[in-house]
Amino acid sequence: MIDPFLAFPFSSLPLLAAEGGLGLNLDPFETNIINLAIVIAGLVWFLPKVMGSILERRRGAILSDLEEVERRLQEANAALLAAQQDLAAAQTKAEQIRIEGKSRADAIRLDSEQRTVEEMARLKQSAASDLDSEASRVSEQLRREAARRAIERALAELPGQLDANAQAKLIDRSINTIGQA
Amino acid sequence: MVPLPFSLPFAALEVGQHLYWQLGGLKIHGQVFLSSWLVIGALLALVVAGTRKLERDPSGAQNLLEFLWEYLRDIAREYIGEKAYRDWLPFIGTLFLFIFVSNWGGALVPWKLIHLPSGELGAPTADINTTIALALLVSLAYFYAGLSRKGFRYFEYYVEPTPIMLPFKIVEDFTKPLSLSFRLFGNILADELVVAVLAFLVPLIVPLPVMFLGLFTSAIQALIFATLAAYYIGEAVHEEAH
Repeated sequence: MIDPFLAFPFSSLPLLAAEGGLGLNLDPFETNIINLAIVIAGLVWFLPKVMGSILERRRGAILSDLEEVERRLQEANAALLAAQQDLAAAQTKAEQIRIEGKSRADAIRLDSEQRTVEEMARLKQSAASDLDSEASRVSEQLRREAARRAIERALAELPGQLDANAQAKLIDRSINTIGQA
Repeated sequence: MVPLPFSLPFAALEVGQHLYWQLGGLKIHGQVFLSSWLVIGALLALVVAGTRKLERDPSGAQNLLEFLWEYLRDIAREYIGEKAYRDWLPFIGTLFLFIFVSNWGGALVPWKLIHLPSGELGAPTADINTTIALALLVSLAYFYAGLSRKGFRYFEYYVEPTPIMLPFKIVEDFTKPLSLSFRLFGNILADELVVAVLAFLVPLIVPLPVMFLGLFTSAIQALIFATLAAYYIGEAVHEEAH
């Protein structure tokens, strides 16, 4: 078979090479290596620009999102801390108020107890003194009444019994009594 | 080999030549497996390297992976719906990443430097077996998605909105994997062939626009495949508002 393209240096190679086994084919034209090199160089020049900017933008968006979220986390933490401090302050204040209230309640209770006791003592005392004065008044009255009656009886009986003899005896007895005393 | 009416040197492009491996009774295309393993290895290496040391400040590979994840999640969520997309995001993401890296690897890695006994290395997706496998996986996925979510009510989908749709919907089950696999395979293989043919005719500069266009279409094909897979799954799990 006459091959009209035998003049081309690369034209007959594939037929020959097909007979061989595994190996390298280093023919620059048949392997299209030059064009491939240009295409790959073009891609290496072009792709990083396009993809790089896309990926960089994506990374920037993610990083700014992260930053934003971290900032918000910090803010939330700060708010939490402030709230916790407020809570602690409120708790101590509540405790303080509670203690104060308790002590005031104690004081009031003690005071009122004391006053009650005092009042009771005063009442008792005044009752006792009332009773005493009443009793003394009553006994005074009774005494007076008894004295009055005794005098009355004495005045009633005396005129019948009284004579010189009895008078002398009485005077003697009185003198005796004085003498003995 | 593609039958050409004339015997020109670029007929030696070795289309249809494969590195056959015998596996039991099967003859498998070794070069597809080799390049698939390389693609899978590259993806795994990238993912492992990018997720090994995760930081709050996403930089480098982690940033790229997170960006890809968000992109794929948006696709899955848009087409599958809020309820079910989480179950299918790994599948859609794997499809997209494998196809994308396969396509770009096929277009960018100088595979022809490595000479195989037969056939040549290239994008795994330029082989119809790969794309059919992927498309059948999509079919299985949407059937499974529909049946597991809705039970036998899934088949109501075939008679909605009217029972007249039944034959069309049945035919669709066959055309979906067919169109998925042929679209991807055809685009990638055609791209490789156009570049190879142009490189044979005019070795320098002239193939460059086609190569760049190939990169563009490869990326679009990966996106289309993943999007359609997500759309089919979304269609299967879609709940009619009764």
